Amino acid sequence: MKKLLAGVAMALMALTGGAQAQDYPDRPIMMMVSYGAGGATDFQARIVTMTAGNEDALGMPIAIINKPGAGGRVGWNWFATQAESDGYTLAAYNIPHFIAQSIKGGVEYSADSFEPIANWGADPAVFVVAADSEMNSMEDVLAFAKENPGKLTFSGAGLFVGHHIAALQLEKAAGVKLAYIPTKGGGAAAMKAVIAGEVMAGVNNLSDAFRAQEAGNVKILGVFDLERNEFLPDVPTMKEQGMDIDNASVNFRGIMVPKGTPQEVIDKLAATVPEMFANARVAKKMKAGGSPMHIMTREEVQAMWAARQETLAELLEGL
Amino acid sequence: MSRAQHIVPSGIVFAVGCWIAWVSFTQQPAEAFLFPRLISAAFVALAGWTFVKALLGWSKVGSGVSRTMALNLAPGLIVSLIYVFWLAKALGFYTATTLAFFVLLSLYDPAPHNEAKTWIKRAIITACFIAVMYGVFGLLLKVYTPREILF
Amino acid sequence: MEFIYYFGDVFAPISFLLLLVGTIGGLILGATPGLSPTMAVALLIPFTFHLEAVQGLILLGAAYTSTVAGGAVSAILLKIPGAPANIATTLDGHTMAKKGEGARALQLSFLASAVGGIFGVLLLIFLTPLLAKWALAFGPSHLFWLAILGVTIIGSLDSASVVKGLLSGCIGLWLATIGFDDIMGAQRFIFHPSLGGGINIIAALIGLFAIPQVLTMFAKGRRNDNIEVIEVKKHAIGDAVRELFSRKRAMAIGTSVGSIIGLIPGVGGQIAGLVAYDQTKKFSSEREKFGTGHSEGVIAAESANNAMVGPSLVPLLTLSIPGSPTAAVLLGGLLIHGIFPGTDLFDNHPDVAWTFINSMLIGQVLMCLFGLYVAGLAAKVAQVPQCVMAAVVLGLSVFGAYSVQSSMGDVYVMASLGVMMFFLERFGFSAAPLVLGLILGPIAEANFIQGSMIANATDGMGTYFLGGALNLVLIAIVIASIAYSVVMELRQNRAQNAEVTA
Repeated sequence: MKKLLAGVAMALMALTGGAQAQDYPDRPIMMMVSYGAGGATDFQARIVTMTAGNEDALGMPIAIINKPGAGGRVGWNWFATQAESDGYTLAAYNIPHFIAQSIKGGVEYSADSFEPIANWGADPAVFVVAADSEMNSMEDVLAFAKENPGKLTFSGAGLFVGHHIAALQLEKAAGVKLAYIPTKGGGAAAMKAVIAGEVMAGVNNLSDAFRAQEAGNVKILGVFDLERNEFLPDVPTMKEQGMDIDNASVNFRGIMVPKGTPQEVIDKLAATVPEMFANARVAKKMKAGGSPMHIMTREEVQAMWAARQETLAELLEGL
Repeated sequence: MSRAQHIVPSGIVFAVGCWIAWVSFTQQPAEAFLFPRLISAAFVALAGWTFVKALLGWSKVGSGVSRTMALNLAPGLIVSLIYVFWLAKALGFYTATTLAFFVLLSLYDPAPHNEAKTWIKRAIITACFIAVMYGVFGLLLKVYTPREILF
Repeated sequence: MEFIYYFGDVFAPISFLLLLVGTIGGLILGATPGLSPTMAVALLIPFTFHLEAVQGLILLGAAYTSTVAGGAVSAILLKIPGAPANIATTLDGHTMAKKGEGARALQLSFLASAVGGIFGVLLLIFLTPLLAKWALAFGPSHLFWLAILGVTIIGSLDSASVVKGLLSGCIGLWLATIGFDDIMGAQRFIFHPSLGGGINIIAALIGLFAIPQVLTMFAKGRRNDNIEVIEVKKHAIGDAVRELFSRKRAMAIGTSVGSIIGLIPGVGGQIAGLVAYDQTKKFSSEREKFGTGHSEGVIAAESANNAMVGPSLVPLLTLSIPGSPTAAVLLGGLLIHGIFPGTDLFDNHPDVAWTFINSMLIGQVLMCLFGLYVAGLAAKVAQVPQCVMAAVVLGLSVFGAYSVQSSMGDVYVMASLGVMMFFLERFGFSAAPLVLGLILGPIAEANFIQGSMIANATDGMGTYFLGGALNLVLIAIVIASIAYSVVMELRQNRAQNAEVTA
């Protein structure tokens, strides 16, 4: 009897599966964020998907599910191996995090496991020190580091995430040895370590550092990007301060689906999602929260992923 | 309670402890297994002591498992395990829960089985429970539970 | 005294309505298995998109306070702790409910929650700048010792045998290491794909507490003569108030422990209830009554976990550092309205800041009133026949575990841990120390590794972990706590031996 029921269930599934692509989406969609509730990625994901239920967007709401752990590995591993590729399970991606992790190994995903849909934001890494620190520019930082090799402690959100990439780039470009301290608990914990004086400096998200600077808790000494940021027009880039550092550590955030999702579903999402991000209400809320937006279409994201794959493979070689 | 009853669980725990220690001390990278090594050392020591105590018959706490208890427990445990590990996913949460709830209720309800009234009562309780679950998890919290057949 | 000026704003019609909705809704969400306060608050965030900043925060603040208290309802009536904060409440609360004293347990828990909660919010109002410094004083080395201190109370917590208590704690510590290690990203002990994400604490809680209870009910069988008829006693609210005030020690320990621990970022509310319970037990003259439905246990645990609510927001409101997962979600609620916690909040948006804080104060009172009102009614749950109860708890556990992160893996983990715990409990192991290990393991490990990395780059391990006044104080408490456990074990053995010879 139970076998029979299961058989009937399978048959029904096969039937509904065929019809799904045309009416997609006909039920609420789930989006996995591989960081904890309240973190920068989670917060932005909730804002950019808030209009998903509108008729001109997907017409169905997107519910956020958090699967935090190990710098995002837990969530993406789940997404690559266990998520159903029916278009009702989306995930937020963070570049360079998941690409760096897949190059390092020990995870079951790579850039080929996922299909990008669209990008919503780009959050560069910045170098911060506590407000009462004696260091006032990258020059001071490097001078200290050269005198005390391996003694300058600075925090970041984990290993093989954007902050770590920035740290590696800094060490390489300046030719000094630093002590990178990965914290558990994301950018917020890394920021706390800087403000509380547990470490001398830190790498953090521009959006979080901007707020912390506004609150008078930290000083921002440099941006790990190609150009200065609109939120921080007075803070020079690393390149301006004489270090050859590009935008490889900039944290790009967007939406992806698992490989094997029907092409029609991908096309539909790729067409609607960038427009959904461009919604005026979304832009207003993002700006209010100090989160830089950067909308990219599926093709642009594919190119960006491929480019990152190369740069990171080179940077992480021999680590 | 007999000495043998204490030996079995403490033996299993001790074996698990040894396995953890073995894994922790052989796996790489060593940095990642530093903490598990520490724990497994304490684990093995404590589990070893408990095991020895059980062997010597010094274990006093706990009420053990009696024969009647095991017989009472078996049907419920088996139905629950089938429900959780297989039916919930295969039939969908609501269908499987309805089924499991009704079966468990019938298994353990002391009311006589040969009266129609009893069965109607059980069906009503089951329906009420599922309605509440659907209301809370499906409608209010919008949790999308696996739904294979029906709803 | 600035805050008094903004009290009126809380009673503006829409604000007050939201406060009411948030409080009552929060109690219901909190009582639902699988829904931790963090998740409940995250669920409400989308609603605040459509509200003004103040109104949104009132809703979130009210939900935060009342979900923490609401967790006690399922902890007492069903033995399913809604969140780690409510674990200690199950120990005595559920035993009371089984004796038909559910109404008394619930009334005491709501009253204690309100007293603790109001104290916590008052701390937030008056001592914030001072407390912020204190919160930041805890670095990795201190958090490590604090976690170790937590581990040492494992032995004395709800266990008939100290060794088995410690062993249960070790099992918990080990379970916590399953999954990806947080700093290196290495895979550890993943022998089934469901374990890839590690063991989810909420799913584990449901399994470890609820499932053994379901199986125990099954084990009683279906014969009529085994069914105990429970008489649910009515309990006057006045008596509960009087009892509360006669238990001053439990109140005081619960409230102060809750406020202090709640303040420390990263450790937060998860262990406040357990530590308070343990301390109250150690200082109580009726130590042996704990675990048998003793009201001090409920009072200490619940006053502690609500007292932690106010202080847990201190680092968030002053420094923009979320000290707990729930505070992190609240931060999001502030940011979408363009308000940055920190000096910006108090200088440029004092109306938002103080109305929010005031609403939490009034929310505590509303929560208590509403809780007392439903306590008598809710206690009737104890009269539900065992067979129905077992099936209900099983169903709730499955739905609850699944809803944590929409994952079947969590359901399997929940059930496996539950069945394991049932058999272990039959042999003197216990769930509370195991859960404590599960919570403390990651805190101890992450802070140890992070601390040793900083130490290696700077002063060296010795100075970093053993130097400084705060480290030394914590180490002294750890030693005292271990000594206490050893003495207890010896006394226990002597008592056992005396029994054997007699």
